[in-house]
Order: sequence, then C-alpha cells, then structure tokens
Amino acid sequence: MIRNRFGKVAAAVVVTGLISGIVTAPVHAASNTIIVWADETRGPNLQKVIAAKGDWVPGYTIKIVPFSSFDALKAAFDNATALTGPDIVVGANDWVATGAKQGKLAPVTLSSAVRANFTSNNFFDLSYKGVLYGVPLDVNNVAMIYNSKLTGKPATLGQMVSFYLKNKAADKLTAGLCVAGGGMSWGAASVLGALGGAPYVMSANGSVSVSADPVPADTVAANIKALFLDKNGKSNGFFPATDTGCKTAFLAGTVPYAIIGNWEWQDYVKAGFDMNLMPVPGVKHGTNGSAFASVSGAMLTTFAAAHGVDQGAKSLLNNFFGSTAGAVAYQNIELRPPANKKAQKDGSITAAQKGFGKAGSIAGIPQIGAILNGAPGGKSYWDLLPAFWTDVLVNGKDPVASAAKMDTFFQANIAAGVPQL
Amino acid sequence: MKRWLKEDLWRHAIALVVCFFVLFPIYLVILSALSPTGSLQVTSFIPKTISFHNFSQLFTSPKIPYLVWMKNSLVIAGVVAILSVVIGAASAFAFSRLRFKGKKQGLQLLLLVQMFPAILSLSAVYVIMSRVYSFAPRIGLGTQPGLLLVYMGGAMGVNIWLLKGFVDSIPMELDEAAKVDGASAVQTYWLIFVPLAAPVLAVVSLLSFIGTFNEFILARLFLVDMHARTIAVGLQGFISGQYASNWGPFAAGSIIASIPLIAIFLSLQRYIISGLTAGSVKG
Amino acid sequence: METLFKRKVTVTLKYIVVTFVASLLLMLIMSSFAKREYAISIFLGFALFAMAITYLTNFSIPMKFFLPGMFFLIAFVVGPILYTVAMSAFHYETGNYISKPEAITQILSTGVRPDADQTTFDIVIGEDAGKKLEILASDPLNKKYFISSLTSKIDLDASTLKIDENGDVATAPGFHALTPSEQSALDAQLGQARFVYSSDYFITIEGGTLGSLKRQTLTYDKTSDTFKNVLTGAIYKDNGTGDFANVANKAEILQPGWRAPIWFANYTKLFTDPQIRKPLIRVFIWTVVFASLTVLTQFALGLLIALVMNRKLFGRRIYRSIIILPYAMPSIMSILIWGGMFDTEFGAINHLFGTHVHWFQSPLYARLAVIIVNLWLGFPYFYLICSGALQAIPAELSEAAAIDGASSGQIFRKITLPLLLQVVSPLLVASFAFNFNNFNIIYLLTGGGPSNTLGGDVAGSTDILISYTYKIAFGAGTQNLGLASAISVVIFFIIASISLYGIRRSKVLDSFA
Repeated sequence: MIRNRFGKVAAAVVVTGLISGIVTAPVHAASNTIIVWADETRGPNLQKVIAAKGDWVPGYTIKIVPFSSFDALKAAFDNATALTGPDIVVGANDWVATGAKQGKLAPVTLSSAVRANFTSNNFFDLSYKGVLYGVPLDVNNVAMIYNSKLTGKPATLGQMVSFYLKNKAADKLTAGLCVAGGGMSWGAASVLGALGGAPYVMSANGSVSVSADPVPADTVAANIKALFLDKNGKSNGFFPATDTGCKTAFLAGTVPYAIIGNWEWQDYVKAGFDMNLMPVPGVKHGTNGSAFASVSGAMLTTFAAAHGVDQGAKSLLNNFFGSTAGAVAYQNIELRPPANKKAQKDGSITAAQKGFGKAGSIAGIPQIGAILNGAPGGKSYWDLLPAFWTDVLVNGKDPVASAAKMDTFFQANIAAGVPQL
Repeated sequence: MKRWLKEDLWRHAIALVVCFFVLFPIYLVILSALSPTGSLQVTSFIPKTISFHNFSQLFTSPKIPYLVWMKNSLVIAGVVAILSVVIGAASAFAFSRLRFKGKKQGLQLLLLVQMFPAILSLSAVYVIMSRVYSFAPRIGLGTQPGLLLVYMGGAMGVNIWLLKGFVDSIPMELDEAAKVDGASAVQTYWLIFVPLAAPVLAVVSLLSFIGTFNEFILARLFLVDMHARTIAVGLQGFISGQYASNWGPFAAGSIIASIPLIAIFLSLQRYIISGLTAGSVKG
Repeated sequence: METLFKRKVTVTLKYIVVTFVASLLLMLIMSSFAKREYAISIFLGFALFAMAITYLTNFSIPMKFFLPGMFFLIAFVVGPILYTVAMSAFHYETGNYISKPEAITQILSTGVRPDADQTTFDIVIGEDAGKKLEILASDPLNKKYFISSLTSKIDLDASTLKIDENGDVATAPGFHALTPSEQSALDAQLGQARFVYSSDYFITIEGGTLGSLKRQTLTYDKTSDTFKNVLTGAIYKDNGTGDFANVANKAEILQPGWRAPIWFANYTKLFTDPQIRKPLIRVFIWTVVFASLTVLTQFALGLLIALVMNRKLFGRRIYRSIIILPYAMPSIMSILIWGGMFDTEFGAINHLFGTHVHWFQSPLYARLAVIIVNLWLGFPYFYLICSGALQAIPAELSEAAAIDGASSGQIFRKITLPLLLQVVSPLLVASFAFNFNNFNIIYLLTGGGPSNTLGGDVAGSTDILISYTYKIAFGAGTQNLGLASAISVVIFFIIASISLYGIRRSKVLDSFA
C-alpha cells in the first residue's frame, strides 16, 4: 500500500516538476546590462535622461534602479552582495571610505578630458587613501537666504542679531536664523564657521592643517555669549538648537534668515521668494562662515567585474557621468548645481543652481569623511556639533567649557584622520 | 437624567479626556494633510487655508503610484494574513490537542525564538534571499513573493502562540466526542476544529494583516521597483530623503491608508474583543 | 456512500497538493544545486524528504500539523538566528567584510596604480590576424602610436598612419577592430588584460576607448601568504584577526581586510572594554525601565478605561470606536506625527500648554516623550483585553461580596484585580518582551537621542538595546556586525530568562505538562 502511494506520487512529481520547471524557468538578465542604483530623486531623473538617449555606451544597455529613499538605498548598499548588487551606485561622498574598506567599491581611472572637467577638491571627496572610486555628479551645499520683504542683505552676524532682537515682537518672529536644510551638523557648519570655529582648518595649499586649533574656545564662546545668549546665559531665541519647522516658519515669514539646501530651492521660488543667497556672514565685516560643499558621485562597484560589465560600467562613468553633455542633460532635470565645471557655465543651467555654486565657491570647504566620522572609538563631528548646540543653547552650559570639549574631540579626529587621507 | 449626572458624570469626564488624548494627534495629521505647506508643526489649531493639493497629488502625480502601492499592500498583507493563519492554526491545534514527546520543550522553544532581537536577521535574511534570487529570481530578493515568504516565517511564531491560547479555550468535549465516533486527528481538525475556531482565526488574521501592513524595514530593502512597493515603503520614502521631507503627501497618504484598517477594525470590534481575550480566559 | 465519496475527494485533493508542492521543491532543489547553492539544496532536500514521510505514511501524526509551520520558521527565523550567532564569532566590521580570497583580489586591484602623470591613451580594442587580443593606442599629445598585445609592443611610424582631427588613429595594417557587441561579450577578459608597455608599466583598459598606464605596486606571494610593496619593500603578513599587517609596523594594515574567526573576542570585549561596557550597562537599565513603564502605563490606562466603561454608558460605542483608533492606524505615521508635536519651537504640545520645553534635547523629557507616545500607541490593546476579561468575571462574585458588606474598593482589590491579573499576566509578559525589542518607536521618534556626546557618551539617552545594536551594526561610520551580533546574543539570554521566569510564575506552561 505504502509503496504504491509512493510510486504514484513520485511519478506525478516528476511530471509536474518538468512542467512547472518549464513554466517557472529562471529569467536571466542580459549579461551586458549595466545596473545603476540611485535614490528617490536622482534615480527617476537619471531614468528620464537615459530614456531620452540610451546609447552612452555602445554594446551595453543601461538600467537605472531608483530606490524609495536615500535611507533605503544606503541600507540596500550596506547589505548588497555580488549576487544582487549594482554595477554603479550613485551616493554621497562619505560612502567612499566605507565602501572601499568593505571591498564594495572598485578603483576608477578617468580620461584626461574627463579629469579636466572637475576640481581636485571634487576628486579628493571621492578618494580614499589616494585611490579614486567615482565620478563627481552634483554639488551638495547650503546657503543662507534672507527674506527681502522683512530685511536687507546683512553684512555681519551681529547685524542679523540686532535686527532680530529689535523686530522680534513687531514682526512676531519665532527665530532669527534657523537651519531649514542639512540638519544641525552638516547644515549648521556655517554657523559654527561664522562664530570662528570649524571641524578642521584648511591651510593655503589645500591640505588639512594639523597644527591649527579648530575651535578656539575663548573666541567662539565670546561670540556665542555676545550674539546667541541673553544676559542670564540663556538663548535669546535667535538661533534654535533644532531644525524642525524652520522651513515652514521661513515660508510663513516668521524667520528672516534661513540656511537652505540646494536641492529644495524650487520650494522657495514657488512660495514667491527671491533667491537672495549668500554664505552666513561672519562676526567681522568681509568674513564668512564656511559650509561643506561636498559632491555626490557615481561610484564603480566591485560587483561590476563579477557581473561581466566592468568595462561597460567604466565607459559609462567616462562617457556619461563624467562628460559635460551627460552632466547638462541630467542637471537640466535634476536642477542641482553640477560638479562639472563646463556644465556649470552652460546656458541651460538656472540662476539658482549657479547661485548655490557661487556661495560654495566663496565659502566652501571639502567634506572629509575620514576626519568627520571620528577616530575609532571616538566621537564623530556629526554627533558633536548638535550636542554642542544643545548644551549651550538649551541646557545653559558654559560656552567656554563646551567649546573646549568639542575642540579636544575635533583635534583627536584630525590626528586620527589625516594619516588616512 | 439624575442618575446620569450623579453616577456617570465622572465616567464621561474620564472618557472624554482620553478621547481628546487619542484624537489630538489624529486631528493634527488631518490639519497638516489639508495645509498647503504640509508641515507637522502648527502655528494655529484652526486652519487658515484649506487645500486638497496633497490628496490630489497622490492620485495625479506620475511619481506617486499611490493606488498601486495600496493594492500591493492589501494583496501582500492579505495573503500573509490568510496563509500564515492557515498554517499556524494546524501547529496550534497539534500543540493544544495532541500528545507527543517534547511538547513542552517545543512550546518553550517557540516562545524563545520570538524573543531573539531580530534586527540583525536583516542581514541574514538578505543574504539568504539574494542566494535564492540567483537560482529562482521570481521568489528571491526584490520580489513580492520573496517578501511574502519572509513575512510568513516572521508571522509563524506569533500566530502559533496566539492561536494556541485560543484553541485551548475551545472545550475539549467536542473532540472527545469525535474521537469516540472514530475520527482521526486530521479529521477532527478539519471537521470539528476549523469551523469552531473560524471567528478566532479571523481575528488573528486581522492582527497579522495589520502587522504586515505596517512593516517597512524589510520591505524597503526588498521592494525596490516603484510599482512593486508597499504603502509603508512609499510613505516612508516621502519623509526620508537625503535631506528633505515631504510631510504633506505623507500625511494625506497615511490618512487614506488608515481608512481600510479602521473600517475593518470598527466592523469587527465585537469579534476582536472576544477574540483577544478568548485565549486567556479559560472556559 | 456519500462519506466514502467525500473521503475519496479529500484524499485526491491531498495528493494533488502534496504532488504540487513536492514538484515545486524538486524544481528548486535542482536549480539551486545547479547554481551551487548547496546549503539551500540540502535544506530543501530535507524538506522534501520530511514531506514525503509525513504525508504519505502515518509515521507521525503531529508532524502532519507541524511541518509547514516548521518549514517557514526554520528557513526565515531560526536560520537567521543561527547566522547571527555565527557572526558573533567573527571579526566582522567595516574594513573586514568580505572573504579572504576576495580581500586578496581587492588589495591586488587597488595595488594597481597609475603613473605619476596619470597617463592615458586613446585606444581601439582589436585582434591580430591570429585572433589574439591587442590594442591600437594613440598618444595624440606626443604623436606616438603603437600596437600592444599581452606579450609584445610594436611602435608604429606616425607617417604611415591615417590620423584623424583629434590626433587619434583608428586603423593600422594587420589590426582588426572589435565591434561594440564583440567587446561587451569579452568584458571580463578585457578587464583582466594587461598590455605590454615597459618593464614596470603596463596598460589596462578603462572602458571602451580609454587605456591607462599602470604598475603593480603590491604583489602577493601565495606560498608565504604575504604581500610585498615593490616600491618600499615592505612585507605584509596575515595578523590572525583578518588583516595583512606590515611586519615592521603592526598598526599599518592593507585594506580591505576579511572577516576572520576570532571566537569569543567580541564577547570578552563586551565585558572588558569600558568604552563598550559602560554605555551598554546604562542602555540596559533604561531598556528595562522603558519596557516596564510602558507596560505599566499602558495597562493602567487600559484598565481604567475598561473599568469606567464597564457598564451601560450613554455613547459607549462611540467612545470605544474612538479609543480603538490608535491601534488601527499605521504606527509609522502616528510615531512621526508625535515627533513633530514635541518640537520645541513649532510643536503642538508646547503650543497647547504655552510651555517652552525642549522635549528632544533633554534626556529626561525625551524619555518622558517616548513613554507618552508608547502609551498612546498601546493602551487601546490593554483596554480591549481588560474589558473582555472584566466581562468574563462572573458577576455573582462581586455581588456576593457586596452583600457581605465589602466596599467597591475592596471588591476591586480583593476580587476583580487578582482575577484580572491571572488572566492578563501572560499578556503583560508578552508585552514586556515586545517592548524590550520595540525598535520602531525609538528609531522613528528620537533616533535614540539626545546623546551627551560632549560629555563622552556613545549611546543616546533614549537608546534601548536593540536600537543601540542597530547603530553599532548599521550606523554611520564604522559598522561592527560581529560586536552587534554578540550583543544580540547576550540580550537574547537576558530577555529569555526574564520571560521564562515570568511564565513559570504565571504557570502558563503548566497546562502542557
């Protein structure tokens, strides 16, 4: 009886197995498809550009995979293996060090024509230990916008503070200067800069100074006491320690100055604001708080070789991502400032895109992940600066002591980070 | 009227305070969905301008295939809810009714497995499914069936545990009678137990449905393609851009997404209350 | 007759289902075997075997009920848990992520460096008459042209060539260019190819038409398992923890490294390294406080409402429908909306109460906010449970007590509450266990913050163990999967013992004995 059942079922299994095997036979992607991963804004825009003109690399087809969010893209790339990973990933410059250490990114060599399109700072952003891993795509930076219906162009930080204190009640201002884009560490870097501090000091030859004091505690604390605190040592409300709600408040006209990101300027234009962009002015006339001007890049992965499209992916980096034609076609849709120098001058690039580019060139510093992410077992800049704002502006701690603590950590990060460059 | 005043007034007072606590955030979601700037922050509790732009965007913008996401969520959550309860109920029945060696250990193991902090399983599940993808791309990483399989695994433990409680509460006499009539365990399960437990199975399905509907951490890794995403992934995408968040469409999308859940909940209210407690109240 | 017919139908149905699933499994076994995923084929093979034994014989009746559930549980829950346990024995972090052979390949490929001038050539990829791969290279700046193969280099005389407006040549005698599709078919081979240039330098193809002058600065010696830097002469040796380290200077390592087994080092680090131990203890205490307070507040409010509405009350249905709402709404939305409400300057809570509390900047208030939000999310569940349980308590008990002269407070304390607790205590334990690992609320509401980073803290004030583990495994900066796995395993032992103790006490498992 038992044997009989087994026999019948086994025969049936073989037959249906064969049939279903044919029906559900695995579909293989064509081996000459280059797969590019990108986030929720760059992905769909790259798709459009590739759909309009897809023959950037003869002999290969290009497939753009847009993710649902930047977070999701990062999570997926963190987990990616050769089986599922992309051939090129469009990501932030601080992925380079991690990606290289994890063996996920592969070195690239660009033609001299492509190299001429970018600054050495841009390449520095996408290199780890002197090896380049990608092509710069767009510049990420912030700039300060002022509401010209309320006030004029300020020359110093002090002017901004006195405007706020004077008109606080009459204009129902909720804050003076706030960070609408980029968060309290990346976006607010220029405020620290305006006060006289920085995560690291760049020397004249373009390298990081190991000897200079990044946060001169006494100077920074004196400026904070004079400008951001009242006589009781509490925040005077000029600069909130959080970025939540800043954009809404600026658009509603209750904040005269805001730091905004170059990816969101259309929202301000739509709401009827002029693009009055500038770096955050410093304490003294003619000085500016420096802001990060980092690039996003199209980076080559080691998976490309495993998929047999290594050459195709390299060609795509040179022919499309690195070329002026590619950069213009893409930035006409993406509307961020292109990293490509020739594309920056192209007639089709909007004034706002150029305005951010200008603010970046006046007061931009490279974003060096090896230093900012912190020494192993230490603290990262990304955690330290928000904690500093909270300590000084919320918890009423002594600015001198807090600035000195931050300074110590920054110096440790510089000492650990510089040898890695 | 008098009694109402004297004895029930304090009850109403407490109930009203709690209702305010519950409704306040919900009111704010509606407020921000209707505001043209769509922010989560309030400048006033009474809207000055009302705009349906955030809602219309969901259905008109080609960038937001909202209805497709909704359909994906309903299908995935629905299939997981039904299949995981069908499979889980069988195990629960065996745990509750059959005698076998190692039953107590099995149950304890099942409970312990539930308590493992599963956040790192993320990497493991990703590795497993990417390997599956290499030989069966239709059920591997990046596909809805693949995600469904993973959810089935995740739902299994909870469901067996919950269902076992419910099965315990169904009187033993009925299956004893069936046994006397000569029915096998399998027959007892199908003919006696399943019809009896139907309302309870429905409640547990509903709970799994909600759990699956809300999940986004795995889903955002699995469902990359715009038209394959679920509503939770889509909504999360609005607010976790590299730098910017779109609260307006997020709020509007969340409100619409909660409507089916709330409708099911309210219509099954009575079942849910009896179902949730049936497991713990014996007899 | 009718039952016999029914039986036949069900038996046939069973065979159809079993056959279908078995053939699906068989197909997957075959294709996974073909793709060398042996672990998966073995697992599926076991599943197929178990299925045949279980459903075609009467080997074990319980297995007939357990098998499908077990399949999913093992594949997607138990499997990943074992994987996590295994990971905890490895040096597995950023920088040590891949296998050793992969790491060697990577080091070799980053060891291929361009020359100081980063010289590039415009090239055409082609073959010689004997179908051997070669390139036709142009250096338009220096007007130099040559053909290079894997074994030789032949300089060409510029005057004999047809040079285009860019200074490049496209053809040469005896050279056959490959079409783009021929090139893409050869992609892997082209990427590996090294064309002769000089004794130190060679040319690699960097996509279609670009050749780059390179040299190998790091060489690998298989027999001694060492790397050598040909420029400095430095020797790098396997240091036993997953890196090649300079023999002269142990701190200098080549990247990337690989994940090497280090057995219990991750666990000992948990207890010996104060940088890890101190925050872990603090986070653990807060996790216990958070989970207990959450369960207590949710239960207390749920019970209160259940008691308040445990009688005919005008509008009870409406109240209940409202109170059930938080349970039915997508929690991701509720948590984020609460996050916005707690904002200091622009949030609804400060606006409503006219306060100026820095909710998410102060550790105490941030913790309070987390508890409040979790209360909102969870009390409807306990309301439902309690109101069901209260209805199930026989009314005679309290009536009898009332006749005996007990006050309503006494009845509640002496009769209702004990009975209720007996019913809900397993659910309280389950809820404690759930909240102990409640990742979403922390991740979405505070992200674990605020953290007193300037004071030297690593973990945030509201970080619970699971969110802290997530930061270690997937956060910005260094991601340490090995250490995070070790923490997961330790958390598991803690929570498992708490729960088992709770369950023993509440005697839930007694009925199985």
